Amino acid sequence: MLLARFKEEVEDILSRYPVKRSALLPLLNMAQREEGFVSEPAMRDIAKVLDLTPPQVFETVTFYTMFNLKPIGKFHLQVCKSIMCALVRSDEVVKWITKKLNIAPGQTTVDNVFTLSVVECLGSCGTGPMMQVNDDYYEQLTEEKVYRVLDDLARDGDCSLKSGPYMFPLPLAKS
Amino acid sequence: MPQYEKILLKNMEQPGYAGSLAEYEQTGGYQALRKVLKDMQPDQVIEEVKTSSLRGRGGAGFPTGVKWGFIPKDHPGPIYLCCNADESEPGTFKDRQLMERDPHQMLEGMIITCFAIGAETAYIYIRGEFRLGARILEKAIHEANAAGYLGENILGSGRTIKIYVHAGAGAYICGEETALLESLEGKRGMPRFKPPFPATHGLYQKPTVVNNVETMANIPHIINRGGAWFAGIGSPPKSCGTRVFCLSGHVKRPGNYEVPMGIPFREFIYEIGGGMRSDKPIKAFIPGGASAPFLTPEHLDVKMDFESVALAGSMLGSGGVTVMEEGTSMVWAALRLMEFFYHESCGKCTPCREGSSWMTQILQRIWDKRGRDGDLDMLDELCKNIAGRTVCAFGEAEVGPVQSTLKHFRHEYEALIREAEAAMPRGKEIPVLTN
Amino acid sequence: MAAQATSTDMVTLTIDGTSTTVPKGTLVIEAARQIGVMVPHFCYHPKLTPDANCRMCLVEIEKMPRLQTSCSTPVTEGMVVKSSSSVYAQDARKSVLDFILANHPLDCPVCDQGGRCDLQDFSHEYTATTSPFKELKRVFQKEYFSPLIETQMNRCIQCLRCVRYCDQIMDVKALAPVGRGTLTEIKAFGAHELDCEFCGGCIQICPVGAITSRLSMYEFRPWMLKRTDSVCGYCGDGCQITFQTKDNALIEINSTTGVGRNDGDLCARGYFGYHVSEHPDRLTSPLIRKGDALQPVEWEEALELVGQRLLDIKAKHGPDAIGGLISGRCTNEDIYVFQKFMRGVIGTNRIDSSVRYGHLNGVHALQRVQGTHRWAVSFDDIVSADTLLLVGTNITETNPITGLKVKEAVKQRGAKLLTIEALQPAIGSISNIVNLAQHHLGVKPTCYAAAILGLLKAVVEQQILDADLQATSPAYFNDISARLQALSWEAIHVQTGLASDTFTQVAKVFGQGKKVIVLVGPGVLRSSGGFGMTMNLLDLLLVTGKLTQPGCGLAPLAEENNDQGAFEMGGTGAILPGGASLGDPEVRKKLSQAWGRPIPETPGSSLPQMIKDAQEGKLKALIVVGENPLASLPPSSGIHTAFEKLEFLVCQELFLTETAQQAHAVLPACSYAEKDGTFTNTEGHIQPVRKAIDLVGESRPDWEVFSALSVMMKDPMEYGDVKEIGKEIRNLLPGTRILGPTPLPVQPDSSAVARYLTADYQRDIATRYQFPVNDSMDAGHIILQVSQSLFHSGKFSRKAKGLLQVEATGKLYVHPEEAARHGLSDGDTVKVSNSLGDVMTTVGFRERIPQGVAVFPEHFDEEIRRLLPYSVDPETQVPYYKVAHVRLEKVVG
Ligand SMILES: Cc1cc2nc3c(=O)[nH]c(=O)nc-3n(C[C@H](O)[C@H](O)[C@H](O)COP(=O)(O)O)c2cc1C
Ligand code: SF4
Ligand code: FES
Repeated sequence: MLLARFKEEVEDILSRYPVKRSALLPLLNMAQREEGFVSEPAMRDIAKVLDLTPPQVFETVTFYTMFNLKPIGKFHLQVCKSIMCALVRSDEVVKWITKKLNIAPGQTTVDNVFTLSVVECLGSCGTGPMMQVNDDYYEQLTEEKVYRVLDDLARDGDCSLKSGPYMFPLPLAKS
Repeated sequence: MPQYEKILLKNMEQPGYAGSLAEYEQTGGYQALRKVLKDMQPDQVIEEVKTSSLRGRGGAGFPTGVKWGFIPKDHPGPIYLCCNADESEPGTFKDRQLMERDPHQMLEGMIITCFAIGAETAYIYIRGEFRLGARILEKAIHEANAAGYLGENILGSGRTIKIYVHAGAGAYICGEETALLESLEGKRGMPRFKPPFPATHGLYQKPTVVNNVETMANIPHIINRGGAWFAGIGSPPKSCGTRVFCLSGHVKRPGNYEVPMGIPFREFIYEIGGGMRSDKPIKAFIPGGASAPFLTPEHLDVKMDFESVALAGSMLGSGGVTVMEEGTSMVWAALRLMEFFYHESCGKCTPCREGSSWMTQILQRIWDKRGRDGDLDMLDELCKNIAGRTVCAFGEAEVGPVQSTLKHFRHEYEALIREAEAAMPRGKEIPVLTN
Repeated sequence: MAAQATSTDMVTLTIDGTSTTVPKGTLVIEAARQIGVMVPHFCYHPKLTPDANCRMCLVEIEKMPRLQTSCSTPVTEGMVVKSSSSVYAQDARKSVLDFILANHPLDCPVCDQGGRCDLQDFSHEYTATTSPFKELKRVFQKEYFSPLIETQMNRCIQCLRCVRYCDQIMDVKALAPVGRGTLTEIKAFGAHELDCEFCGGCIQICPVGAITSRLSMYEFRPWMLKRTDSVCGYCGDGCQITFQTKDNALIEINSTTGVGRNDGDLCARGYFGYHVSEHPDRLTSPLIRKGDALQPVEWEEALELVGQRLLDIKAKHGPDAIGGLISGRCTNEDIYVFQKFMRGVIGTNRIDSSVRYGHLNGVHALQRVQGTHRWAVSFDDIVSADTLLLVGTNITETNPITGLKVKEAVKQRGAKLLTIEALQPAIGSISNIVNLAQHHLGVKPTCYAAAILGLLKAVVEQQILDADLQATSPAYFNDISARLQALSWEAIHVQTGLASDTFTQVAKVFGQGKKVIVLVGPGVLRSSGGFGMTMNLLDLLLVTGKLTQPGCGLAPLAEENNDQGAFEMGGTGAILPGGASLGDPEVRKKLSQAWGRPIPETPGSSLPQMIKDAQEGKLKALIVVGENPLASLPPSSGIHTAFEKLEFLVCQELFLTETAQQAHAVLPACSYAEKDGTFTNTEGHIQPVRKAIDLVGESRPDWEVFSALSVMMKDPMEYGDVKEIGKEIRNLLPGTRILGPTPLPVQPDSSAVARYLTADYQRDIATRYQFPVNDSMDAGHIILQVSQSLFHSGKFSRKAKGLLQVEATGKLYVHPEEAARHGLSDGDTVKVSNSLGDVMTTVGFRERIPQGVAVFPEHFDEEIRRLLPYSVDPETQVPYYKVAHVRLEKVVG
């Protein structure tokens, strides 16, 4: 059982809320962190801990777009397509990725390393085009940058181009 | 470039400032909290915020002090504070910076707010994608707890205040305050009908204040420097203080800029934002996030305050300014936005749910050159039938882009439809039988 | 309408020009409905909390910005509402319909809702003839949903009434709105099929045809159906149902909100269990035994044989050589005529009915303590109670609609729920009442007595006592206190596993209640010591001063639909119609005068007594009406040997039951769907049963058979129709009217209470204020409880094809951990054994069953009942046989 493995974390999460059900999103986020998606056993497990029926968990899971109900690739490339990014050519980013990895939005590479999704605004409109890969943001993308991110991730599992704490524009050096 | 005094971004713009507790304290952080705990009663804090005329920075612009004043007095509790860090309005990315670069500023604001409204527990509802932000906030909360600014018996005052970070999971609507509460209760993020308002029936049906990150970040400064000081900034009496506006689109220097409310868009876009990134002139701009109706170059001299923008037929909203250059198709722009609203409609209200899918389909057809005579009337009609007839303000939001582009750029739609008709002539009219 | 409204709680407003005054808090849509203004709506339903999602009910309200949803707006003083008189509102509604129809498939020709569909009706009223929608409609993949409930999600208008019903009313939470926006569809869990209580509520509450019944799918158009309002024949809740028939075939059953004791709610049995009447195995002609076989004959021949044999036996052995047993499923009229036949024509008081199986304990206890044979409370009192104590009810499965009243009180009105049940909190696909309890005392099925005593002890120790009564009846209080003092908390702990402070907490909540109702169910009424436990619960209400307060009382739950009526009609030997005891001279006089026949002098005898007498050769003949003792009672009761000794056994039956197979004559009776009459529900409401379909084959209502037999036996007791019987009953028993306003519950009779407090309580205080002598359980044994399932009723419902879809076989249900202790997995074959024998069966898991207990549904107990020991209550002659100690062993291979 998933939750049994993280007993302390579960207890900690539960302790934050006066009503158990509030822990639902945190526990689902945790389940997805561990398994890459929200599995049926995980939903049943969570239902039990929170005194919910499995359908109550399911209805909540399906409302939120970040939860995957099926396993996906190791790296989830989510390219923002909302208008602010689109104005700075985010549609190209999708094309670049498609070209490089040979997958269309919604698909996963055969080696299960990358899954490509096109998503709505991720809150970095000033630094578009951008994409989120798992927990990290990659912004002000160019074709080269995208390829480097993909290469680095495939090779090292990480990429130094990811964003740190947001600040844009960077303050001009005092003259 | 004109220089204005920064309030919220001041710290973080210091070179090397990383937002740790020590750094925040060095710049005078948590002095406001000390002052409040030492010298002020909750009511005085509320009065001070009322004096400041601070209005919510989340989108609706409701006066913050007034909102706090709605919390019933002598309520047995619990009372909750929820900080709205859902920041999902396309075009808006200021809260992210406020949280990631200077988390203690908003935490201090939240602690003071809790004190003022009598809350012991506060949640920061942060959009699920902001993993980094959530980690930074958690670390800051940890620091604040350790330093005695949070937790039990804060600074020896006997007050207990706990703050938790609660991550969403991908749903724009959860930024709407009642949907946020539902989501925080572990449910589908569907807005509740009002009344009752969160001030009396909020989280777990208990009195609750929901405030935006930026709203919270302003609080310590108001306490430190006084409500009157704040009320003198910007465009008094109704749009006081600075705002962190987010600039995006076809501009040279997109990003977050803190300026006093009331400067004209022209100054903001051309001087602060460096103007258009290419030589093309500006064609249209969104003044306050995706929900705000489009404005045109004619409106460049409109002042960036709540009233002026409203008068111009749009809204200051979340402060996200998106600029589009000449050559950008307004039909395409409306379609992109409509797709967003279609994707994000929670599905509770019939007009919003069905209308967003209906309008998306029509816009898609027009854009694909399969438009039909009557499509524009239909769009007009649909907008009219959605706005004002839904539970939450999403209904108004989703029609804004379409209505405003139809108003200012109708000819672009018509041109596309004419192209479609030229490519595919219409069939015969059905004759009306007469006797 | 309340004419003298006080200004504080009433509000006056104007709707479409008409002024009206309604209670504060009323919703505008309700206020409008009350003056005949129908505001169109989809998501609103009077049973549910408003959600205001469909936006159909918009109205214009003066001084309010924009249009308002009348379903979520409470009235305020001086409000001026415009509904159909507002062009804006009308226009908005039209547009909402356009929106809804945009994605609606308009497949009305093949939709079972077509013709009674809110969407059709409102479209007809509001929209133009063509839809402005010219885009692509959303299409959901059709998926299998469940064996009984079908969904067609393309028709769904997303009002979420079904989801809210399943949660708010049923507390089942089996339906999930899945996805977001237009693509939201109603599902269960993942790709799994629906697993729930199958109450049919979602079908009934869906305003369109998105959720329908598979049992009647595509079989009808609503306008072809004939409606017959009647009462459900399964449990004691007495739900009002409407039979929908087409060409004499039962097509479906439904129920209307606002109508009946059930207010439109039903359970799986009521909603899906209606095929019994049309089962192909129904007996269609009389049968008489010729040699070894039963052979069909004409009614004439059968009646002649039965009449003659009864006359012969009576002549030879006296009238008391003949006994009669009638089912609590029969109508009041059937039972009344039956007992009149037995007493008046045969001349014996050897009469019994299924009320004997447990409900009698409740009725006798009420009679003894408060002098009534009915509840002194009603369903309405349950709903408005502030504190409810449930003892051994297993209420969801036994009396599901009474269960809904409890849920309403707790979930919607904030009542405090206390439970003493052999259940533990656990979420499952069937709602679990103890999940809602503020305090739950989980006990083994054999420990109710100790738990009740523990509660009484806590009440006395905490001095949660009625001081006035204490002053006027010191002896009673002292006696009880002394008895309770003699019981140590340690002993109570050993029995129940519960500590004294747990009881103290429950006692305090109980004591604080102003409107307190104790519901007691089969766990107590049908288990050893049932009468004493019920008496003690009445003592609990009495010592705390609640018993005689309005809105307070004890409510024993009747399992069968007319158990209460069986008692009231004189269906038990020692009791005359109206509830008077057999010895009551006045009633005897009145009845014998009315009947023109003497009432026999011999004592009444119970079924256990008749079994004994048959074994001893004193009872020679038995008339069994709708009962099946050979399949109800365990072999340990001696029923088999008793029946073998009978010289003559006649059965009136729908089917060739185990008992009927042994009979010398079998007379085909008709079911509740084919006859008129009345049933009396558990709270004592007498409700009309109406004939919906023609008699099946040659079957006849039971009363008609007795009437015919009486003619054969030269002592005619003739009735033209059932109305004549009803009239006779009403003349004899005032207060049995069926028309007019809902009667108020009877109130405790103060002289009876006084009698009880002074002397009557002493009669059995010694036995009921001590722990039952539990034959201690051997190591390695667990408790087997044979009990009621939600999906069946007796053995009868096993002929209902709908119910068999949900539950077709019996399983031994245990907690997964209990199973693990025995090395058992879900679905394993297990050997269940004790000194009475052994039985193989299958294991199923249920987390709500406490460890150390196994539960088997009584409806499938033909094997397992061999393991059940049998005893009889010395006071009420109720037979106890629902609990045994058994061993479990995994069967390998
Ligand atoms: C559809 C919708 C989305 C919203 N999203 C956000 C959001 O992402 N962040 C936010 O702070 N407020 C958002 N709001 C505004 C909130 O409902 C609410 O007004 C705000 O959190 C109040 O805080 P304030 O008074 O400090 O502005 C949204 C409102 C609507 C109708
Ligand atoms: S307006 Fe749209 S987003 Fe808001 S509650 Fe209604 S359906 Fe949901
Ligand atoms: S009935 Fe009022 S909104 Fe649906």
